[in-house]
Amino acid sequence: MSLFNVIGKREPMLDALEKATGRAKFTDDLTFPGMLFGKILRSPHPHAKILHVDLSKALKVKGVHGAICGRDIPKKKYGIVPMAKDEYALAIDKVRYIGDEVAAVVATSIEVAEEAISKIHVDYEVLPAVFDPLEAMKPGAPVIHDEVPNNVSAKIRKEFGDVEKAFFESDEIFEDDFETQPVNHAPLEPHAAIGLADHSGKVILYSSTQIPFFLRRNLATALDIPESRVRIIKPKVGGGFGQKIDLYAKDFCAAFFALKTKKPVKFVYEREEIFTSTRQRHPFKIHLKTGMKRDGTIHVQQFKAIADGGAYNSTAPLMITLACYFIMLPYRIENLLFEGCHVYTNKPVGGAMRGHGIPQVRFAVEAQLDLIAEKMGIDPFELRLKNAFHAGEPHPAKLLVQSCGFSDTLIKAAEAIGWKEKRGKLPFGRGIGLAGASFPSGVSNMSHISSGAVVKIERDASITLLTGAADIGQGAETVISQIVAEEMGVPLEDIRITAADTEITPLDPGTFGSGVTLRAGNAAKMAAQSAKEKLLEAVAEKLEVEIHQLEVKDRRIYVKDQPEKGMSFSEAIKVYQYSDRPMPIIGRGSYMPPAKEPTTLLKEDGNFSPAYSFMTQAAEVEVDTTTGKVKVLKMVAAHDCGRAINPMLVEGQLDGSVVGGMGQALYEDVLIEKGQVINPSFLDYGLPTAMEIPSITSIEVETDDPEGPFGAKESGEGTQLAPAPAIINAIYDAIGVRFKSLPVTPEKVLEALQEKKGKTY
Amino acid sequence: MKHILKLNVNGEDHEVLTDIHKTLLEVLREDLGLTGTKKGCDLGTCGACTVLIEGKPYLSCLTLAVAVQEKRILTIEGLAKDGDLHPLQKAFAEKGAIQCGFCTPGMILIAKAFLDEHPSPSEGEVKKAVAGNLCRCTGYAKIVEAILSVTEKI
Amino acid sequence: MRLPAFDYIEPKTLKEAAKRLASNKGAVLLAGGTDLLVNMKHRVIMPKQIIHLKALPKLQYITSGKEGLKIGALTTLHEIATSPMLKERWNIIAQAAQEVGAYAHQSMGTLGGNLCQENRCRFFNQSPFWRGVRPPCLKAGGKVCYVVPKGNKCYSTYCGDMAPALIALGAQIKIEGMEGERSLPLKKLYTHNGKKPLALKKGEILKEVFVPPASGKALYLKWRVRESLEFPIVSLALYVEKDQKDQIKKARIVFSGVGSGPVEATLAERIWKAGPLNEQTIEKVAEQAVKEISPMRTSIHSPAYKRKMAGILLKEALKQIYS
Repeated sequence: MSLFNVIGKREPMLDALEKATGRAKFTDDLTFPGMLFGKILRSPHPHAKILHVDLSKALKVKGVHGAICGRDIPKKKYGIVPMAKDEYALAIDKVRYIGDEVAAVVATSIEVAEEAISKIHVDYEVLPAVFDPLEAMKPGAPVIHDEVPNNVSAKIRKEFGDVEKAFFESDEIFEDDFETQPVNHAPLEPHAAIGLADHSGKVILYSSTQIPFFLRRNLATALDIPESRVRIIKPKVGGGFGQKIDLYAKDFCAAFFALKTKKPVKFVYEREEIFTSTRQRHPFKIHLKTGMKRDGTIHVQQFKAIADGGAYNSTAPLMITLACYFIMLPYRIENLLFEGCHVYTNKPVGGAMRGHGIPQVRFAVEAQLDLIAEKMGIDPFELRLKNAFHAGEPHPAKLLVQSCGFSDTLIKAAEAIGWKEKRGKLPFGRGIGLAGASFPSGVSNMSHISSGAVVKIERDASITLLTGAADIGQGAETVISQIVAEEMGVPLEDIRITAADTEITPLDPGTFGSGVTLRAGNAAKMAAQSAKEKLLEAVAEKLEVEIHQLEVKDRRIYVKDQPEKGMSFSEAIKVYQYSDRPMPIIGRGSYMPPAKEPTTLLKEDGNFSPAYSFMTQAAEVEVDTTTGKVKVLKMVAAHDCGRAINPMLVEGQLDGSVVGGMGQALYEDVLIEKGQVINPSFLDYGLPTAMEIPSITSIEVETDDPEGPFGAKESGEGTQLAPAPAIINAIYDAIGVRFKSLPVTPEKVLEALQEKKGKTY
Repeated sequence: MKHILKLNVNGEDHEVLTDIHKTLLEVLREDLGLTGTKKGCDLGTCGACTVLIEGKPYLSCLTLAVAVQEKRILTIEGLAKDGDLHPLQKAFAEKGAIQCGFCTPGMILIAKAFLDEHPSPSEGEVKKAVAGNLCRCTGYAKIVEAILSVTEKI
Repeated sequence: MRLPAFDYIEPKTLKEAAKRLASNKGAVLLAGGTDLLVNMKHRVIMPKQIIHLKALPKLQYITSGKEGLKIGALTTLHEIATSPMLKERWNIIAQAAQEVGAYAHQSMGTLGGNLCQENRCRFFNQSPFWRGVRPPCLKAGGKVCYVVPKGNKCYSTYCGDMAPALIALGAQIKIEGMEGERSLPLKKLYTHNGKKPLALKKGEILKEVFVPPASGKALYLKWRVRESLEFPIVSLALYVEKDQKDQIKKARIVFSGVGSGPVEATLAERIWKAGPLNEQTIEKVAEQAVKEISPMRTSIHSPAYKRKMAGILLKEALKQIYS
């Protein structure tokens, strides 16, 4: 029998029926009387000086209530990482990519706003542009931001152990180059914001955001007003995957115009704007050198990684740092040198995307491991198992890994894909492969790291939970409510949750770095404990026992050894009140992951996450050798998420990640020509459809992490690290072709097959 | 040019004074307040705006409201009958087929149209039927599972 | 993306529709809307008037008799895709309809609309913002073609699924116009002029597709990356009919996605007809066919790739049709 009553249950999401009936409100579903509609004018040039913006004709269009450009806004740069702020909501001096924001208009209807936008005249002085990061790094290349003359806006060099010596000691050395493509997050809900303002100069912003509290900070900065004058409310959010952590022009403009006009103002992005002018997964160029010991020990690795950042930083320093640190897991690597940089180009902007810098390097490492295994005559599975990291081992980068089910995930994934029976044994065109990975359960550095929660026990014995956690569709509200229900000893239905309103709910770093369950879950658990204790105090007094003798289960409080001695939850509340204790019963929790502060990974080593998840993905593919098309037949996702608070939702995360990772491996690519996205639509951007999906087997490996709430770790982002290399490794097994750049399109496969044939005959 | 449109939505007759060049999606969301129908791409390539017209799936972003007057239009808001959820709505919730929920209304409606035509389809047929409805969260696995679970009940 | 403003009419008869179409220069026909409305949102078509045809119930039928098959222009692709009669006797037509877009596109889209869909180009099927990066292209009313910047020709590409299948079957079409009705072979509907891809005169409306009795074998193959939603990178229809002596009487190879109209590879057809059927002939037929198509850089896929896939697809199709 399970230890738990609510934890581990396949509970449907609390808002599932709201969503199934169309009642759930996303930002664009909200409407307010007298609301104005906004549109943004974007740059048609990849790089140009703005000489003059003439708004006069736009302002004359009937129905227009305002038009602004860079000169009208506070000269305050913002950015998701405080040390890397480089963006204005509307371009002030120059535009840096096709799609950069130049001006904005609000009007009584979208049509009028569109018409007005077309009447804005901008004088540009077109500047030379640079699109390739290697070109951008060369002396004499166009300078995109004056403060960064070499276009390298973030840089990291980290060495652990003695790399030179280690290469000298290595028995075999392998060197390969890898390349990854830009990938769009493609949340189904377009980005939207609605601003409301009052006469005191306070603004309320409804926004499709993953991090209400970051948005509050950034918006206050950009508007140059105190944070206390900004309130962010997150309605339902239709997916984010990292794309909705940044402040966008739509947020700024909705707030700015609301303050200016005192009318509600709505901005909604078109799908094309999401492709060109939000964020994308950074394309990487990677050089990877690995030194191996004859026995199959990975002795040393050296990385050179260049991330093409596009026109602005967004999360640049954090992204490149994460890429570095996660080469150090899930394998034991004593010696490592990582040199990474983030380079500006005149292209769409890179940002955090599910895995945040790590899927790219993971692809390189996992693909090369298979190459190494083959050359050294070692089974790729055995090679990984041999080098697998274990809980409690000292880590070269001082990461503190308290729970680690990596070996287990490897073994279980291999078993489920049929490793022994199939690897190297399937007919030409069929193959299997696997890849491993690790991810933090929230990053405890370089950002807000604390999460708060309030739990109230109401007079009717129901429980109200306030959390700042931002549910963007992953089910955070459900999972946190399950944690509170378990802690309180009540069924899930007794919990009412209010989330993600910066004026009502406590501080929380939002959906970022896959830390919601651990961070907000721990805070909520603490809050529940605190509220419960207050109630138990009264009950203990009444029953004349000590608090620690009491247990709460199924809405009943009773003495552990004498279950018949006790009372119902609602009786307990009466007891509490009759004992002249103050109502309401409120418990508070504030949780901060144990970490050095301030620790910036860029500068010093140290543990930066409360817990690390581990996973192995295995793939079986079929390659049509006539056409080059790869079909993924089966994926296995074995994931150590500590403990699955809600296994159904964990599976949902794994399924979605698998298909997203498959998209990166085979289908998706933001194609850019001279800075222009040439496929900014679902028609041309290859988001997988239901026809492409494989059968998916999810395996949850439970390790009961000491830091996670009820032992839980992340399951959202880490799962997207390994599907692509697993698929690429399976393709190698199928046709003997090693792909080092993504995506592996039918065109590339066909070319490779023809080349191979040419060589063979 | 504004015009009075006569629309039958979810069994009720509406008269709407609105622009003739509005899509059904715009009229549903803006004039009738039926925001359950979602705008994901506005160009007929994501399926989030799917509604049923005379039982057939239509992309409401590519349908003129004026052109579907006097037809029976069903949106997600009209699927539950007298408060009783449609089996698909229940199945989507119970099977974890809903994450962010933005594709859900379109997904459920296209599934309904399909199941009305093919009461006991294969898994492959279900996938094909919903292939024009994109989802970024679920990887479609639980969506397909939810739809198939309803067919078993029938 | 909002639609531009327009007048809207619903004619009661086809005659009236033709009259209105002829009398208003800025009028266009609306059937399913899946092609037209996207182009209108992109502002590459800005009609003054929309003539909605769906109120004409008489154009929605599939009938088959001794003289052949008749399909009304307003029959939906879904009706075609699911018609038991077509599946049994004219499967290639049902098969092609199943390949169009996805389920909802098929239930909205009509046969006539599909046959008359606009040509496509990566410089044309884009938003005003996207196109605003450079002066308008030839097809959008400008002076330059960005696919082939020299010269004064539009290279936009025909990407329909139904036309190759129907042309391979030797389909005829009936057109209603101001001067009455006329018939012509479907393949003559296509001008292969990217700027004005259809050979319809002022006021003319496609009314019916007629397919003569076909006793041979037919096949439609479509190549795309994802198995739904997408237009063909390249697709092709084959038709082969033999006489009593087992000699090939008719052989047709028709491509989509590789020219400004559906492309029939007539010289390749001759090689095929001349036989004998073996690997060598199949190679020769494919080799010749890819010479007859003219893919351009009008989509995200390169012409070289389209050509390569056209050859592969044709060889596959020839093998399949004989297996």
